[in-house]
Amino acid sequence: MKKIVILLVIIFLVTGCTSKNDAGVVNILNWSSYIPDSVILDFEKETGIKVNYGTYSSNEECLAKIQSAKPGTYDLIFPSDYMIELMKKRNLLEPLDREKILNWNNIADNYRRLDYDKENKYSLPFLAATTVIVVNREHIKDTITSYQDLLKPEYKNNIVLLDDQRIVIGMALQALGYDMNETNKEALKDAKEWLLKLKENVKAFDSDSPKTFFLTNEVDIGVMWNAEAAIAKNKNPNLEVIYPKEGVAISIDNFALPKGAKHKEQAYLFIDYILRPEVMQEIIEDYPYKNVNQATNLLLSSNYLNNPASNIPDYVIKNGHFVNNIGDSILDYDKLWAEIK
Amino acid sequence: MKNSNSIFKKITTIPLKFYAGILIFLPLLYIFILSFFRNDYYGGIIPDFTFDNYRMLIDVVYLKVFLQSFLIAFITTFICICISYPFCLIIKTKKETTQKLIMTFVMIPFLTNSLIRTYGWIVLLRKNGVINQFLMGTHLISSPLSLMYNYFGIVIGMVYTLLPFMILPLNSAVSKLDDSLLDASKDLGANRLQTFFKVVVPETLPGLFNGSLMVFIPAIGLFFISDILGGGKLMLLGNLIKNQFLTARNWPFGAAISITLIIITFIFVKLYKKIGGKMDDLGGGL
Repeated sequence: MKKIVILLVIIFLVTGCTSKNDAGVVNILNWSSYIPDSVILDFEKETGIKVNYGTYSSNEECLAKIQSAKPGTYDLIFPSDYMIELMKKRNLLEPLDREKILNWNNIADNYRRLDYDKENKYSLPFLAATTVIVVNREHIKDTITSYQDLLKPEYKNNIVLLDDQRIVIGMALQALGYDMNETNKEALKDAKEWLLKLKENVKAFDSDSPKTFFLTNEVDIGVMWNAEAAIAKNKNPNLEVIYPKEGVAISIDNFALPKGAKHKEQAYLFIDYILRPEVMQEIIEDYPYKNVNQATNLLLSSNYLNNPASNIPDYVIKNGHFVNNIGDSILDYDKLWAEIK
Repeated sequence: MKNSNSIFKKITTIPLKFYAGILIFLPLLYIFILSFFRNDYYGGIIPDFTFDNYRMLIDVVYLKVFLQSFLIAFITTFICICISYPFCLIIKTKKETTQKLIMTFVMIPFLTNSLIRTYGWIVLLRKNGVINQFLMGTHLISSPLSLMYNYFGIVIGMVYTLLPFMILPLNSAVSKLDDSLLDASKDLGANRLQTFFKVVVPETLPGLFNGSLMVFIPAIGLFFISDILGGGKLMLLGNLIKNQFLTARNWPFGAAISITLIIITFIFVKLYKKIGGKMDDLGGGL
């Protein structure tokens, strides 16, 4: 009896999974809130390709989805720098066919051939994000130029930070003069002490919507990704955006094809569509990260260009730091994170 | 007749056995085996047998996380008990239709996703939220109270979310309570408190333990409440496990924490069964 049941299940599972390949489909796995629905709909209307759109909220979630799904489940993903490097090493990516991406050269030269993928064999930047400090000038008048300034006891319970261990521990390391990817145990001990001090001032760790804390006047200081800061700044002009003198953290998200992608042609068409100047403009004005598409630069609105959180100057990017893969030291980071919480 | 009945039983329980086997037992077995493996540089799994994951758990840092979680769960359970007993005793005195209506209201929040309900609390509790504005508007306080992004906010969220799980079993126990026992206690000169502790509590103990278990165990794992209403400043077991599977990419360690948590949960269930069983015996004797 049991065997029959198991057999039935196996048959059911196998037949359930092997659906025929439709020519006009592309399965996209992207960050949540990154591309407006209207862009997807326009793409579907223009090409007749049906877009199946899934989302994730961290690089690790993307990795977990790619690893646990059958190869070919997804055709296009958008991992960040260090995740590209990791996926490359684990042989999870398909090389990109440059011939198929006509708008390849729209990506600004300084965003090509970056360290994590020197020849852009597997990835092409889509947009960049940096962390920034946001201060509500209505309530805080002191000069703030660095992470170190956030330790002042007057800011008790008045700061929102990202709920991201690499970014927050990296901040502490940078404030103490270390590299943001430092793995030395003594340095991490110092970082722990520093963070325990800073925690007195922290009202909340939030990665989902730190801007809300400013819009509801819950806090006056925050460290967040630039698009969140830009939206907050649009709504409240009293907010000042500060690039910390230790250097911002940078994250660059990329187009990449997971190994075994079944609908490569459609994925390339989608990439090409997104790389069009006017399409990228629509995306970047909606989710105001740092634009890396040089053809789009000419189309950007003054609202985008004048906002110091969306239009991050090149020198800030140049002095910024990437989150790197740190191997087993991630375990020390994770323990430290549990210690300070 | 009896035989066909047992065949019928066997057939009708197949889906359940199937469900338990494929969807609960197998994943748990996977987690159990995983907890003895090692993780590699990129978050992969190396099938080397090791106890290291469990050894890693014996560390002040992680013990602190266990303690924090149990403390929050304990406080939540205690407050739920304090609210549920009076609640159940009061609705016991109402007409049956009223009782049904009230219990329906207890269930209604389940129609909305608990995550969304938790976000609703932000509107009430934040610095310029409804409660603070009301209190400031009526000049009861001069500066806003810190109602969330601390322990207080977490406990409010936990109690709110888990209260029905205490009320439902407790109410079924209290409603079965024989009124004549209460009358007898009163006639024999016991005051209300004495009646409560000497008659009501012992008689409804199984319901109380059932409810406590249903509140205590989920309270250990509801990490999103601590993230949303506690501002992510407190690491609970749920957060720790989630981090192992996502950020630290150390699945074996996450598995080891989960298994430890399951073992602790089992101990609580055993404890409940022991006490619950005794109570049934006593009830039979009466």
